[in-house]
Amino acid sequence: MAKAELKKPKPKANPLKAADITVIDYKDTALLRKFISDRGKIRARRVTGVTVQEQRKIAQAIKNAREVALLPYAGAGRG
Amino acid sequence: MRHYELMVLVDPEVDERTVEPTLGKYMEVVKKDGGTVDNVDVWGRRRLAYEIQKKTEAVYAVVNFHSTPDAAAELDRLLRLNETIMRTKITRPEEQKID
Repeated sequence: MAKAELKKPKPKANPLKAADITVIDYKDTALLRKFISDRGKIRARRVTGVTVQEQRKIAQAIKNAREVALLPYAGAGRG
Repeated sequence: MRHYELMVLVDPEVDERTVEPTLGKYMEVVKKDGGTVDNVDVWGRRRLAYEIQKKTEAVYAVVNFHSTPDAAAELDRLLRLNETIMRTKITRPEEQKID
């Protein structure tokens, strides 16, 4: 019997560490746009490669930015 | 005293130059209560990501200030009464830090 090979997914480089960011500012739309899809949806953590704590702050920042029309709500406008 | 950040979206038909003095008047609420206004930044006209009240742009302004929670809430209430102010948002920058 062939051994089931353990495939560990390669951990993605943390994009926040690379950019040396300590505050997730909801006004920083250039940064937040990296974490939303073309449709305006928030990207999952397995895609973004950030920590749980960071993902939470990013999600909150995106929601705050949406409230003041800096970022679109998901599904608004063209796909 | 807590650090707050206020963002207001002003009707684009309003003259941009009047935004700062108008905000200054509102900030009296904070000062009277013993708070301080640290910085007022008028971004100017900016496109909205989606329409608000049938408008596609607004004048953005950001104010950093220190005040008591009560004064901040009162400031927000007064701003909302002004019809030329399309939207307000008060946040606490400390909550956005990651460690």
